[in-house]
Amino acid sequence: MLDNVIEVDGLVKYFDGRCILGGIDLKVPRGCIYGLLGRNGSGKTTMIRILLGLEPPTRGRTLVLGQDSMKLSAKTHGRIGYVAEGHHLIQGYKVQRLINLCKGLSLQWNDDFFGHLMETFRLPMDRRVKELSAGMRAQLNLALAMAIDPDLLILDDPTLGLDTVARRQFLELAIDVIQRQGRTILFSSHILSDVERIADRIGVLVAGKLAVDCALEDLKNRVRKLRVIFPERAPQDLYITEIINQRAEGREMVLTVANWNQQKKAILDTFGPESCTETPMTLEDIFIECTRPASAVVPQESEV
Amino acid sequence: MLALIAREIRDQFVYIGACCSLSAIMIGSAVSLYVWSMAEGLFLFSAVLMSVLFIGFCVLGASQMYADRANRISVLLSTMAVTRSRILAARVLVGALTVLVSLIPFVITIVVLLQIAIPPVKFYSRMVWEISASAILTGFACYCIGLLIGWTSNKSRLILGTLLGVVLMTSILVAKGFGPSVMLLLLLFIAAALTHTWHKFTSVSL
Repeated sequence: MLDNVIEVDGLVKYFDGRCILGGIDLKVPRGCIYGLLGRNGSGKTTMIRILLGLEPPTRGRTLVLGQDSMKLSAKTHGRIGYVAEGHHLIQGYKVQRLINLCKGLSLQWNDDFFGHLMETFRLPMDRRVKELSAGMRAQLNLALAMAIDPDLLILDDPTLGLDTVARRQFLELAIDVIQRQGRTILFSSHILSDVERIADRIGVLVAGKLAVDCALEDLKNRVRKLRVIFPERAPQDLYITEIINQRAEGREMVLTVANWNQQKKAILDTFGPESCTETPMTLEDIFIECTRPASAVVPQESEV
Repeated sequence: MLALIAREIRDQFVYIGACCSLSAIMIGSAVSLYVWSMAEGLFLFSAVLMSVLFIGFCVLGASQMYADRANRISVLLSTMAVTRSRILAARVLVGALTVLVSLIPFVITIVVLLQIAIPPVKFYSRMVWEISASAILTGFACYCIGLLIGWTSNKSRLILGTLLGVVLMTSILVAKGFGPSVMLLLLLFIAAALTHTWHKFTSVSL
């Protein structure tokens, strides 16, 4: 049994001379729900497409379920469920025909679960895929991906285009899948509250680099936002390492720092601040801080 | 694999049906010409109609690849329990079957008509085999041209490529005639075209 379902080693991807992924190293262990975050154009979809063998890498190696992504066997493909951003379903097909095709091409098909999903989503079987709304297409794509009982489920912004109710339904289903033993999920989304709700590990792509790769709770514990008031003008440099963001205005300085500890607190104390207040941070706050243009890279778990 | 073949046949039903219908029309016309004692015009007639059929094969190949790219069919298929090689193999198999189903009855009809013609047309040994094999290989080569040029999003390039490809194949047949040298040339072309298509299809981003 493999320990890591996904292994990415030195992945580099260029498009028309532009670097999209600049040396990614990543390991996703079995049973992990990995939330892949990043701003638009940060390379999330490209990375997912490379993992699925839809896009060749420029350099580096990607292993999925122990096989090279570009040489995935049919059997391995059959163990991966994929919900694509934009839901690449065959638009001219009727829903029933698409289901029959997917069923015919799958290694295993969970009729009960699929039936339950179709009952929940109430999709019209006699309509063409292109006649469905974006939300319906997302639901159909999700149902098809989940019906094969995948060992690895890759969801590329799956809730895009879904209304609040459908999004909630999707999350409930995702949690249902998660609860089935041994499933691994790679989940990319812009809705950070969704990611926060289901992910247990987080990766943040910033300008083609994996700036963050650690457990969600660990990330929340390690990244701190401090509001520091100095007696006089705030100093230009605090000589503290791993500062993600720093904004000073007059006597006040707002500081986001990784791996906050006693040593760093002692350094800050040498500047004699009047007060130092810690602001609680959600995943969204951390994400915004990490992806600000001026932000520094948060060290990865292995470096701590 | 059967599911892939069935999907391909259903998706390309119009083109496959058109090729088979054209073949049926050609057989019917050839028999009519013979019945009306116009056997001497059979060769010319066959050549003209066969060229139309070759265009049909080319269009079938181009349509398979163009529809795939335009509708992103392989993006969906290759995330299921199939490989890109299997998707292409199913596609080529359907193309080859269409060529055979369309050409074999027509070739048999022509050969039979020429044999029963009065005065009978003299055949040298292996002539029937050479004509049949050359015609089928030319048809398949035209289909391969379609596969090569179909992987584009430019429609005018697609149409121009189809016409040029068919003209090229027919010219080879006219210049060299039916025979082993043409068969070898066509086999080499088919092998190169299929290898190129396979390499492109399995390595390009979908």
